[in-house]
Amino acid sequence: MYNKRTKVSYFLTALLLLAVFLSACTNKANEGSNPKGEASPSSGNAGGPSGKPDTSKKVELVWYLLGDPHPDTEKVVAEWNKMLEKELNTTVKLNFTSWNDWQTKYNLLLTSGEKIDMIFASTWADYYKFASQGAFMPLDELLPVYAPETWSKVPKQDWVEATVKGKIYAVPATYPEYTPDGLVYREDWRKELGLPEITDLDSLEAYLDGVKKAKPDVTPINGKAWNEAYTLFKAYHGYEQIGGDSGVVVARSYDTPRDIIAYPFTDEFEAWVKRMKTWADKGFWTSDSLSSQKEAGDAIRTGNGAVYWRNAPGAGGFIVGLKETNPEIEMGYFPFTRFHHYAMPTLSVNNAMAIPKSAANPERSLMVLDKLRNDPKHYDLMTYGIEGTHYSIAEDGKSIVPPASAKNNKDWKKYDIASWGWRIESNSREKQASGWEGFDKLLEEFKSISKPNIFAPVLLDYKPVKSQQAAVNQVFQQYGQPLMMGLVPDVDKALEVFRKQLKAAGVDDIVEYVKTEANKHFDEKGIN
Amino acid sequence: MRHFWLELRKNKVLFLMILPTLLFFAVFAYFPMVGVYYAFTSYSFEGGLFGSEFIGLKNFEFLFESGVLWNLTKNTILYNLAFIFIGNILQLICAIFLSELPGKWFKKTTQSVMFLPFFVSFVLVGAFVFNLFSVNNGVVNTMLEQLGLPPYDFYLHTAPWKYIIVFFQVWKGLGYGTVIYLAAIMSISDEYHEAAKIDGANIFQRVRYIVLPMLVPTFILLILLALGGILKGQFDLFYQIIGNNGMLFESTDIIDTYVYRSLAVNFDIGMGTAAGLYQSVFGFILVVTVNAIIRKTREDYALF
Repeated sequence: MYNKRTKVSYFLTALLLLAVFLSACTNKANEGSNPKGEASPSSGNAGGPSGKPDTSKKVELVWYLLGDPHPDTEKVVAEWNKMLEKELNTTVKLNFTSWNDWQTKYNLLLTSGEKIDMIFASTWADYYKFASQGAFMPLDELLPVYAPETWSKVPKQDWVEATVKGKIYAVPATYPEYTPDGLVYREDWRKELGLPEITDLDSLEAYLDGVKKAKPDVTPINGKAWNEAYTLFKAYHGYEQIGGDSGVVVARSYDTPRDIIAYPFTDEFEAWVKRMKTWADKGFWTSDSLSSQKEAGDAIRTGNGAVYWRNAPGAGGFIVGLKETNPEIEMGYFPFTRFHHYAMPTLSVNNAMAIPKSAANPERSLMVLDKLRNDPKHYDLMTYGIEGTHYSIAEDGKSIVPPASAKNNKDWKKYDIASWGWRIESNSREKQASGWEGFDKLLEEFKSISKPNIFAPVLLDYKPVKSQQAAVNQVFQQYGQPLMMGLVPDVDKALEVFRKQLKAAGVDDIVEYVKTEANKHFDEKGIN
Repeated sequence: MRHFWLELRKNKVLFLMILPTLLFFAVFAYFPMVGVYYAFTSYSFEGGLFGSEFIGLKNFEFLFESGVLWNLTKNTILYNLAFIFIGNILQLICAIFLSELPGKWFKKTTQSVMFLPFFVSFVLVGAFVFNLFSVNNGVVNTMLEQLGLPPYDFYLHTAPWKYIIVFFQVWKGLGYGTVIYLAAIMSISDEYHEAAKIDGANIFQRVRYIVLPMLVPTFILLILLALGGILKGQFDLFYQIIGNNGMLFESTDIIDTYVYRSLAVNFDIGMGTAAGLYQSVFGFILVVTVNAIIRKTREDYALF
């Protein structure tokens, strides 16, 4: 009996080993075939006799966008595929990450090597980091051949901004924007209560206080208030993050880009968190705010919130949307640019489309993008949906309005997907900020105080300090966020703990690293 | 080797029958282990798994650097011990109660009602918890208010959360475990009970001297299986209930949530794998040790 059992176990072990080896082999084979995809474009089906790329082979592309689809997206993409099949012998399968945990999903899509032919890319989705790590395919040679119209039409400066280590890794949208942070607030309540106009931090505090006192059922920032508190903090002090999100490491101000510090160690920070403690105690937000999943904007709709963080175009969208659902509410907007009187335009790669390294058909993907950007038929369909169902052309022949069928139809929803990656201003049928009438004036204001964005293009991948970065992120979330929201019982003690933990986590190494890299970049660009 | 082929030929059919299982484990459990190698590399998109630079144990540094690893490990283990023991004991008690209940209809209904929470997703549990304990409109605080008592800011204190978390975990698993124990109780032959009744044993004595001893193997088996995952916290549970609320981390942070948060911002496959490997190795050692102890004392009950 015993003997038999050992024999069986020998056999099992042997089989397992075999299985492991077999699977390891197949894995190798897969890896081997990978580089082929990127080597072929220049040689493969580049130039037919007519100089036009060969599209004789039918191809299905996989595209990924951030966010969620519209209920009708499937129909719209089916329409689009009909056109694409005729014109380019191609179909596109359009996938979405959904906004829930999109960062994790986006990272996973790129690292797992899933076959994706085109994906949304952006500075705020770590475009520079991924590009420098080699997650995307360099497009310099492909662009003139497969997307000639885009190649010639996109301004030179935009390509420069999309360039990482000498190569272009994404096709930027051609849609210059200002997206400074700010707060939308109940203007009607301000008037009703005779509160001062919001122009600085003191008047903002007076507004919040006035609303809270006069309306006990209202929590001014009702829901998760972290974004409101955090963006206000950064903007009020004029701290500028470097190379995307650099956490607690910032440039002290726009005018001193090389003065790079970890802000929790400044005196201003100490004063700020003390002030925030008084804000939290006064009930400007709730003590469970950090656990809340509610958007503060939803509370405004239901009448028990007053303030919501939005960037300028987002504020327009919110205010216009509110006019539809709650016409009785009047909203105002306070852009944080008014603290320091400068606004930075977004980089071209604030919204872009890139091709992951794993793409099977980068050439065809670029051809589709070229069509999508430059052929109004394609552009309108994929951006605004189906004419008659999702929009109608207005009398001016250019802008769009809700179609006749949308009248008195509660189920109608404007066609709205994250189409930002291929947006072009000249093809756009909508004004920025969803046509909010206050936006033109605001745009004038931003343009008059515009300064170039010198911080976003600094390339940081944190490779030498990544364990410190992970540890610092951690400390920030555990000790920094409650402190900055004024939720701790003893500010002095909490501040001391926060600073001590940051030091222990290695924040100094990160400051050193960011300083070195930023100075290198500033030297190169001649910024002082 | 000869023996091996002989064995194989003799029991062809039997081996054929086990083949799908072996393949299943090979494909889904053993082959993916190759990925453990990520833990020792600095991942690059060009290199992929085997082409990336080998950096030794550097990926493990972030776990130690912050100096919180001990606290996290402690939290994880203590929570799991609470889950395992409180859970199993309650399940055992419920199973005994259910088995002694006379009415069939009542028994089945109770069983189903107890089972239902098992199907509730943790996202919903998270929503329950927030709506129970939130400051403004939470059920608990509304009740306190009605009773004329001052409200309690649950989200500013770490103390109650240990109990809340353990409660919800036990609540969710109760029905499932009860069914397992109930099945074990049903398999106890009626003859024992009859003999005991004739000898004049009352219900408590029968439970104490027949049911409980007969359930020991099941109890040990379930505990052993659960111990293997002792360093794998219930990520869903903790993440949905606590989320990113740093106020509460001190007593509610476990390895899984810590790793998730560390890597969610700066996604790094190497560091993620390193943390996973730490958990697995620790769990493996734990199972082997506990199993060895059991084998020493009661060999029949050991897992292997």
